Amino acid sequence: MDNILELQQVSKRFPRSDFALEDVTFSLPYGAVMGFVGENGAGKTTTIGCILNTIRKDKGTVKLFGREMQDKDTDIREKIGVVYDGSNFPSYWNPRQLAQVMDGLYTSWDGSLFQKYLEDFHLPEGQKIKHYSKGMAMKLAIAAALSHHPQLLVLDEATSGLDPIMRDEMLDVFLTFIQEEEHSILLSSHITSDLEKIADHITFIHRGRLLMTASKNDLAYHYGVMRCRENQFRALAPEDILAYRKRDLQIDVLVRDKKEAERKYKDVVIDHVSVDEIMLLLVKGEQV
Amino acid sequence: MKGLLKNDFLSVYANAKVFSVFLALFGVFVVAVASESLLIGYGLVAMVGFSVNAIGVSKNQAASQWGKYKLTLPVRRADIVKSLFINQALWLLAGTLFAGTGLGLSWLLHGCPFYQAIDSLSLFSLGISMSLFMGAIFFPLFYFWGDERSEVSLVLSFLGAFALDWALISAINHLLGTGTYAILAGLAILLSCSLGAFCLSCPLTVGIFRRKEY
Repeated sequence: MDNILELQQVSKRFPRSDFALEDVTFSLPYGAVMGFVGENGAGKTTTIGCILNTIRKDKGTVKLFGREMQDKDTDIREKIGVVYDGSNFPSYWNPRQLAQVMDGLYTSWDGSLFQKYLEDFHLPEGQKIKHYSKGMAMKLAIAAALSHHPQLLVLDEATSGLDPIMRDEMLDVFLTFIQEEEHSILLSSHITSDLEKIADHITFIHRGRLLMTASKNDLAYHYGVMRCRENQFRALAPEDILAYRKRDLQIDVLVRDKKEAERKYKDVVIDHVSVDEIMLLLVKGEQV
Repeated sequence: MKGLLKNDFLSVYANAKVFSVFLALFGVFVVAVASESLLIGYGLVAMVGFSVNAIGVSKNQAASQWGKYKLTLPVRRADIVKSLFINQALWLLAGTLFAGTGLGLSWLLHGCPFYQAIDSLSLFSLGISMSLFMGAIFFPLFYFWGDERSEVSLVLSFLGAFALDWALISAINHLLGTGTYAILAGLAILLSCSLGAFCLSCPLTVGIFRRKEY
């Protein structure tokens, strides 16, 4: 399958903060939603910065639509819609003024589609953005990102400031967007429930390093968490343990092949594992 | 580029509206009073004031994620910088029109307000040159230091523009002496230097901006 976005060993070091993004590699196929998960400060925004060229990477390659995007490649950016967390646009504008600006920037800007989103999202077009709630401002950013018919949506914590109802509404919008098979979404978030709803692939990042990238089906059907007692844990083969975490009376062990583990360790309870739990085990747990 | 210019225009518009009302009222007073020093002050405030407003665009836009968001739009970094320079030049033109209207009305009602007619040219040259020098100094400083030091950049650009004009005028007076042709030549040099600095500052700012990360 072709990829709309490919990252190969992308690295970026910030000497002043001692933070580094190290060899981040993943790809997002056409027609898919990639959930990009990690705790605050894990490197999600830095990775997105490297993808969108707002940050210069030290090494590695980022390919968008099969090409490395340079500053001059405005045709690639025509096909990307971006939403950042927080206020994306100057607060003293209103949506009408935003539309005027966007119309002059995107050749494919669709004013009537933007108008439709404003109506659907109940956003008053004459009201200044500074008088919008955080949720309304985020909806406006999503409307603007969708109104030039992008193929790739890059959403950096775009749902994190929204209440559950608004989040659900926005996830529906993303699901509608992804109906077109040429469309893809990269959705960075630390709200794993959102990703469980819409993501096809999930990439975990922690302290600038990629922990795991897998399809959601793979995670749902193959990965599992073993609830072991101390003696059961000691009997496990080290190669079966992806990560483990000691709790009060049990040890949770993340395994890649649930069925194989069930065959091998008949007396151990093995549960399905949620994205949240995988993240906790990978981030807070230990490796053998 | 059209969208970027609209963006810059909208960022200045609210402040410029208030400033225009102030200038209109100040202009009525200046025309009514017919004082040479007030007219000079009015002309300089109009030209430099609009330029300061236009320069403030950068700060206004940096207050949100818009500065970073712009980099994801289908525009080049060079275009973002160019639009700021063009925007400042356009608002300087607006300031010059205000100053010209005030001076013209005063002239019409009270006769030539200056000792000699050529002094009106000096007023415009000084206002335009100061504004251009301000832009030439501010934009590279703004991108080099970032928006957190934009106030310092603004003050330095104002003082720098004043110092450059003062130094140039002193040097021109010393070298060319007095007389109509000397004054005209001096004004041409002043305008050429400031316009040159403004034009050279644009690629310098682009160079700095290309290295910045957001």
